[in-house]
Amino acid sequence: MQSGKTSKLAALAKARNKAKAEKVAEAASPAAGTAVSLLDRLSKKKPDPLQTTREIPPSMVSEVPNISKLEQVVENTTPDSPKNEPVQNTPSIPGPEPDALLKASPSGFAKSMFGRRIDEAFGVEEEFTDSQLTYFSIAPTQKAAIKAKQAFDVPSPDDVVIAAQSQSKGISKTGKGEKPGSSTTASIQKGVEALKVGDTSEKPAPPKIPRKKIDVVAEYEKSKSKRKENANLVVIGHVDAGKSTLMGRLLYDCGVVDERTIQKYKQEAEKIGKSSFALAWVLDQTGEERARGVTIDIAVNAFETPRGRYTILDAPGHRDFIPNMIAGAAQADFAVLVIDSSPGEFEAGFNVRGQTKEHALLVRSMGVQRIIVAVNKLDLMHWDKERFDEIKQQMSQFLTTAGFQAKNVSFIPCSGLTGDNIARKPADGLISWYSGPTLVEELETAKPVTKAIEKPLRMTIADVYRGGVTNPVTISGRIEIGNIQVGDTIIAVPGDEKATVKGIEVDNQAADWAVAGNNVQLHLANIEMEYLKIGDVICQADSPLVPLKEFEAKILAFESLTPMMIDIHRGRLNASGRITKLVATLDKGNGSVTKKKPRHIGPGSLAVVNIAVTGAPLPLEKGSKIVLRADGLTVAAGVVE
Amino acid sequence: MRLINQHIERDGSGTVTLYPEEPEDMWHAYNLIRIGDTLRASAVRRVVSETATGSTSSSRVHMNLTITVEKVDFDSQAGQLHTNGRVKDENKYVKVGAHHTLDLELNRNFTIGKAEWDSVSLGVVKEACDPAEKAEIGAVVLHEGLANICLITEHMTVLRQKIEVAIPRKRTGSVTAFEKSMDKFYDTIYQSILRHLPIENLKVILLASPGFLAESLQKYIFAEAVKTDNKTVMTAKPKFVTVHCSTGHVHALNEVLKSPAVIARLADTKYAKETKAMESFFKMMQTDEDRAWYGPKEVERAIEKGAVATLLVSNSLFRSNKMQERRRYVSMVEDVKASGAGEVMILSSIHESGVRLDGLGGVAAILLFPLQDLDESDEEGETDGGNEDNENL
Repeated sequence: MQSGKTSKLAALAKARNKAKAEKVAEAASPAAGTAVSLLDRLSKKKPDPLQTTREIPPSMVSEVPNISKLEQVVENTTPDSPKNEPVQNTPSIPGPEPDALLKASPSGFAKSMFGRRIDEAFGVEEEFTDSQLTYFSIAPTQKAAIKAKQAFDVPSPDDVVIAAQSQSKGISKTGKGEKPGSSTTASIQKGVEALKVGDTSEKPAPPKIPRKKIDVVAEYEKSKSKRKENANLVVIGHVDAGKSTLMGRLLYDCGVVDERTIQKYKQEAEKIGKSSFALAWVLDQTGEERARGVTIDIAVNAFETPRGRYTILDAPGHRDFIPNMIAGAAQADFAVLVIDSSPGEFEAGFNVRGQTKEHALLVRSMGVQRIIVAVNKLDLMHWDKERFDEIKQQMSQFLTTAGFQAKNVSFIPCSGLTGDNIARKPADGLISWYSGPTLVEELETAKPVTKAIEKPLRMTIADVYRGGVTNPVTISGRIEIGNIQVGDTIIAVPGDEKATVKGIEVDNQAADWAVAGNNVQLHLANIEMEYLKIGDVICQADSPLVPLKEFEAKILAFESLTPMMIDIHRGRLNASGRITKLVATLDKGNGSVTKKKPRHIGPGSLAVVNIAVTGAPLPLEKGSKIVLRADGLTVAAGVVE
Repeated sequence: MRLINQHIERDGSGTVTLYPEEPEDMWHAYNLIRIGDTLRASAVRRVVSETATGSTSSSRVHMNLTITVEKVDFDSQAGQLHTNGRVKDENKYVKVGAHHTLDLELNRNFTIGKAEWDSVSLGVVKEACDPAEKAEIGAVVLHEGLANICLITEHMTVLRQKIEVAIPRKRTGSVTAFEKSMDKFYDTIYQSILRHLPIENLKVILLASPGFLAESLQKYIFAEAVKTDNKTVMTAKPKFVTVHCSTGHVHALNEVLKSPAVIARLADTKYAKETKAMESFFKMMQTDEDRAWYGPKEVERAIEKGAVATLLVSNSLFRSNKMQERRRYVSMVEDVKASGAGEVMILSSIHESGVRLDGLGGVAAILLFPLQDLDESDEEGETDGGNEDNENL
């Protein structure tokens, strides 16, 4: 019963389809000769209707030439075909025509599937619908049609479709069933490409934030002479060496902090019996830091001298906060190592577990080459030359072994509390044996390291916060490599959420672009704060780095290493990982392998190890500098291979 | 766990019936049940019966089923053990060879049948049934923006909750955002402690962090307890101990458990001993390299020479599905015990110390006297050993 029904219906449908398919075949075969040229012409015309749809969609004016051309083609090729009717009708029915033009342009796939019919859809809608029907209704019909015997009298629906398809593809030029000539395919491809160009011009929604397309590298070269170079300096040293006080003094003397603020701090500090901490409070701003008299996190401040502009990163000296210190050192061009010269204090910082050594090694392994040693608290030693020379001698020796070149190391006697020899020269005769530069003068001789500004952008997020009412999502950090401009689309690796740069501030001043070495605040749009994490790496959306789950690293061991759990630090990034395999130890001189698969790596040796990340993949790539820590000690520093 | 019945033949085959009482017993069961063993336990099975007229009805039937184990799966978070296998003994509802998933339940007997009960397996049974008082501790390790809340039992370390909060850094002129989010961070930890740690049953709750965070957290917890009038926390006040550690990652537990403050309180617990043993191994590695060896090949050679003072083995090695491999480690353990001079410690692979040992390939030894070049005999054999290590990980 059922099958009978189906077959009747199917027979009806088949008959209808056959008629249509024949129509198509008829229409197609004479058109075959010109099908390609039609395609070409259509594809050339493509941008026209698209433009018109965007600007004045209902208008018919600009379409007329397009349609008349089409008409021409159709008339030329199929004078008798019923297909003509809709075409001739179109001018009199303005309604459906723009609708057809508003349709999304066909994809490459659709194009190759339907060939000419899709093209025609842009000019002659009805014809498209018909042939579409023919195509889609074939499958169910076919089954029933086989049952109906008369189906075999005529070419099967499949044949009809194949014929229609091959014709529309221009195959019939060389005859049915033959492969299309290469020249034909090429011209079709050309047509498709031309179409695609039209597509892309339409696709992107009008961007909210226009990208000015600045040639940042050229701009940077131009502005070089006008700008004062900005240099980042990290202040390091053993806990209580007076780093924050020294920097507080420097900021005060350079006029960054006003007299009133200092007076206020002095009063408050005296109240809790810590009057000598007043200057450090310029940098130590949280309640915890002030109450305990210890810097916990990096404090960032900037000052300017007639010759240069500097950003201070005041690092904590306490060994528990070395992760924060690493975050600061990763952003630095050069380092100021502060040493407490008072009796016993220098030695405390300089012994095996002291931070003087650890910090110096850390900044060196993170690529800092220039170091200024500020021998602090010399006022307590009555500006004793012998003490200064003793420290200088011991420190130079150590710094040389740590890998600093002698010409990149300088020593400045000073006192943070009194301010002598920091910004201003000491009173006459106070340091009779010293005639060298003050700390600030010495800073001015240090030049920032040149950075690769042409390469793809890399910037580690140092902070994520709400930048104000108009800028709900702001990130800050230092651009490590590359450049960025307003309107750029960026991505925070290891996430895959994209954001647009709405505004850039370089050293707290709005700018259109920024390059490697700049300390920037980026105001972002189209992203939520949750997607951005401190320690993520910002990349251009088109050249993101691929986060790693496992990697090989060449490391310099500071402590004995076995396969073990470690913390991986890179700037602000702090993740847990495991050394899975000791691959080899290397010769320090020429880098050749001294032992494969060592059982353990002794302190001071160079080695290659495999590291697996415990949690989510980390934004690291070849050449990323990492620091490995375990049990509160820096066990190694190295480079991702 | 209670031992109900033990029936072992001369050739080592036999069955053991056990009665689990607490979630940790599932961990022991996990260490006992191997692929190929038989397991008899109570099960619920949906039985479909068809009447003469063709209509079907299904009902849930409680029964005891014996399966040949094909898969063992332990969920440390929930403390559940899922085993999967084919039914071995037929009954009126289930045919032989039908698949069944047995979830072991607390307070219900189960019987394990093995073709070979080795000394290590029997050791696990003995240890599991040790009625000594169990010391459980809670631990919170944290650093700015990251906190891990863990529960440490005699044989397991379970990470109950990991908290990650984005904390804006201090910036010139504005520290309010920082301080506000720190408060929120503490609050999240406090709520999570209440939810995830059975404070009343714990011996100690360790708060560990670098710097002053742990102290601040402790202050916050007590202040909050007073504010909300939380009696359990207030009475447990002496249980909260702050310890110093260098990071907030879970592996900082190693550092926490070896700190003097903890050792003083928990010296006799198994995990404290394990931590100490691992620590002395690493110390030996640094001071006298030739007396500390790790890796199966190397340790095996040391055992041959009768040099092993302390053998550290992770119990993950005995969970291997390869009979041969399991035998190898069992014989290592037995050899050391037989030598009389050596001590054997089987570390739980889900304690931090066990994780550390697994990183070394699961087996390590401290020697009585220095031995050199245990690793340098045949290059090929060594690569074999390396591969096995990787499988075990």
